Amino acid sequence: MQLVPEYRADVKRVERFNFVARMTHWGHTVTFILCLLTGLVLFLDSADWLAVIFGGFSGAGLVHRIAAVTLTIFLVIFVIFDFKGIISWVKDLLRFGKNDIIFVMKFPFEFLGFPVKMPPQTRFNGGEKGNSMLTPTSVILLVLSGYIMWFPAIFPAGLVRVCYPIHDIAMVLATFMVCMHGYLGSFHPGSGESFWGMWKGTVRDDWAQHHHPIWYEETYGDKANEKSE
Amino acid sequence: MANLTNLYDVSKCTACRGCQVACKDWNQLPAVIEPFRGNYQTHEDTNADTYTIIKFIEHEDDPAEDVTWNFIKYQCMHCLDPACMKVCPQGAISQTNWGAVIKDYDKCIGCQYCTYACPFEIPKYRKRDDIVTKCTLCYDRVEEGLTPACARTCPTGALQFGDRDELLERAQDRVKFLRANGFPNATIYGKLELGGLNKLYVLTDTPDKFDLPVNPKVPGQITFWQNWVQPYFGWLIPLALAGSAVSFVTTRILAGKHGEHAEGGHE
Repeated sequence: MQLVPEYRADVKRVERFNFVARMTHWGHTVTFILCLLTGLVLFLDSADWLAVIFGGFSGAGLVHRIAAVTLTIFLVIFVIFDFKGIISWVKDLLRFGKNDIIFVMKFPFEFLGFPVKMPPQTRFNGGEKGNSMLTPTSVILLVLSGYIMWFPAIFPAGLVRVCYPIHDIAMVLATFMVCMHGYLGSFHPGSGESFWGMWKGTVRDDWAQHHHPIWYEETYGDKANEKSE
Repeated sequence: MANLTNLYDVSKCTACRGCQVACKDWNQLPAVIEPFRGNYQTHEDTNADTYTIIKFIEHEDDPAEDVTWNFIKYQCMHCLDPACMKVCPQGAISQTNWGAVIKDYDKCIGCQYCTYACPFEIPKYRKRDDIVTKCTLCYDRVEEGLTPACARTCPTGALQFGDRDELLERAQDRVKFLRANGFPNATIYGKLELGGLNKLYVLTDTPDKFDLPVNPKVPGQITFWQNWVQPYFGWLIPLALAGSAVSFVTTRILAGKHGEHAEGGHE
């Protein structure tokens, strides 16, 4: 059984994610999972077996903090070195419209494997747009509430108290999205080349044309070529 | 077993702070020296090495009258329904069958959830041990038949220790006496607050004149977090995992039926 489609270097490929975006993505993957595992120690009351992996509760606390700071650093690097990329990302999210709604409505069938005809999508399809809005929002909430809970003495007590439910809600939402995203970005057959787009940075030209026709047309299509010429 | 409680009578307290010293002595706590703030109070608030303090509060309700000077002993209230116990992720906080709320410091991991769940913000973080500490109602003494260190040392009888119901009766009599003798606002604190505290106070004035919350409540953020977010919300995660697992199987079954996905796309 094939899990991820084979990487084909012999066909024409187009760039989907640049180096900084990929570094941020995978940096966050590692740090988020570390934070999640060490954080669940507290969320699931008395998950002692999880704490043992990290050398007890103080060890888990230390790993949680180190991973959290590293996650923040990746966030800062992303903002500094690919601010343009963030802007174009946000711009693409703001294009959420009819096609995206249809995509999301039809998606449960696609998710289970029924053949579905989807309307043309921009750089990010309806589902990816939802993920792109929810996950970063959750992560920003996690970062902010996390630092407040780390140094509670310098913040008002009411704010510290709000941070407990916020950190938990954001954690659950982010983890929910990460589970779905992790699966949809790799083993789901309908996602095709998506995995290589984030791993190697490029996707097959024909896949891009088929899955994200609007993006393809605007970036690599005739119009884009005319502009650059 | 009936609840065993401290009754603290403000009107008998001379603020000698013997209880503060006895507490330090019994619990073997180091001195914490804080800067002088222009009054007699030794510490601004309880801290990780100071489980009990005497607060000195100055009030000037009516400018024509003199300043009133109130003393009050302040420490963990040992709520009969303790919020700290509910939020502790390690189950480090428990309640003895006679009403003391105690902490197992071997289990405590210093997360400080209890500090912020407490309506009085009593538990305090001790950095050198990475734990959160508070008054124990001297359960280690009481279980051996002794009275708490603070109550034992009190020279004026302002602190009494005994059966909660009995002490409540005594407190009611005392409040009646005080009301008839120049303290019309005298009241009991701890009888009904938060469903009852295992520390009773006889106050000569309303609680706000003693820096106590008039109607203490467990913060709403904490109840929302504990009653809704923690028990139910987390189920989204197994749902996502289960959904992915189902999809993993069905997509591959259906792919066999409808033919494989073409290399470049869907159909």
